[in-house]
Amino acid sequence: MTVSHPEPPASEGADWPSDWLRATLGFFALHALSAGPSYGYAIISELERNGFGTVKGGTLYPLLTRYEAAGMVTTEWRAGDGGPGRKYFALTDRGRAEKNRLSADWLRFTALSNRYLSDGQHTKEITT
Amino acid sequence: MMQETTDKKWFDELILELRLRQVRGDAIGDTVASARELLSDSGQGAEEAFGPARNYAAALELPTAPRNEWVKKALWPLLLSLLAFLLFSQAVASWVSSEAMLVSPAQVAFLATPAVAMALLPLYIHAAIRRIWVLIALVAICAMSGLLSAVTTPATQADAWLALDPLPWLVGSATVMVLLSIAITIRSWGYDGEYITDPRSNTTPRNGTGTKILTTIITNWIFPLLALAMLGLALALR
Repeated sequence: MTVSHPEPPASEGADWPSDWLRATLGFFALHALSAGPSYGYAIISELERNGFGTVKGGTLYPLLTRYEAAGMVTTEWRAGDGGPGRKYFALTDRGRAEKNRLSADWLRFTALSNRYLSDGQHTKEITT
Repeated sequence: MMQETTDKKWFDELILELRLRQVRGDAIGDTVASARELLSDSGQGAEEAFGPARNYAAALELPTAPRNEWVKKALWPLLLSLLAFLLFSQAVASWVSSEAMLVSPAQVAFLATPAVAMALLPLYIHAAIRRIWVLIALVAICAMSGLLSAVTTPATQADAWLALDPLPWLVGSATVMVLLSIAITIRSWGYDGEYITDPRSNTTPRNGTGTKILTTIITNWIFPLLALAMLGLALALR
């Protein structure tokens, strides 16, 4: 399954703290591949369309290269339509399992964070 | 046009940085092609999309050859060839004029300078490639030491530290140069790891087979070829 060439990214003006994106970009990129093989610009566009801002190629490609080295992603060059070829990234079984594990952990973490923030619970500092 | 020039410079720098990290040619080709693909899709400039080439090359963490492999594979044979060539160049003039090869300590020191500079190359190769003045200084030092070794050649046997029969040194140094060139050629012939291949066509973008053969001959046989030229020149000027 391939991802069709995306519409030009419609940025939602997202300006999230860079630490948040650094922590989540890995499994967001894996999630972007869960529907099928995709290529660099399509992944960046999908993340941007979903409100995560513009991810630079200099951030995404090193991440995908590390996933490839770790056996979570495979790559394949496919001929383009009248243009140069594209490098497609695809999830392996290991990558899919890692994506599921990280997504589940993230959902638990955000549920905890939301509960903590909305309940207004505070840990009382013990002073002596 | 301006963007194309900037991008070309960025890609040249990226290739250089990956080369310095001993990344294989096919992995460099893949990196370059995927970066070009993204730039073509996004319309961005290379620096804007990927940041400084040096940082991007480091961030990719591509598999590299062991750090000192090139020293064993390339530097030591080259260093031995250079020493053999320096010996040959000293012996050839004496042999052609049927005189003893006269050697002074200062001459040996000046002749050893290029060899020492090459032996220490692993310590400063990155600086030499990134800063042109280091490279220019290195070439100037080697050229100056060659000139000074000629100046300090003893005029008479009485001034000489050593007076040697040039023929064994001539034959020995020529044999070493030829054997090293044969060994380097055999080892490099089947290895294509250094050539940058375009993954979209599996071809080397600029170098054809003819260029490859020519490059192999020039790089692996440079010292025997120079020695032959020197011998021809010495015989012609006799």
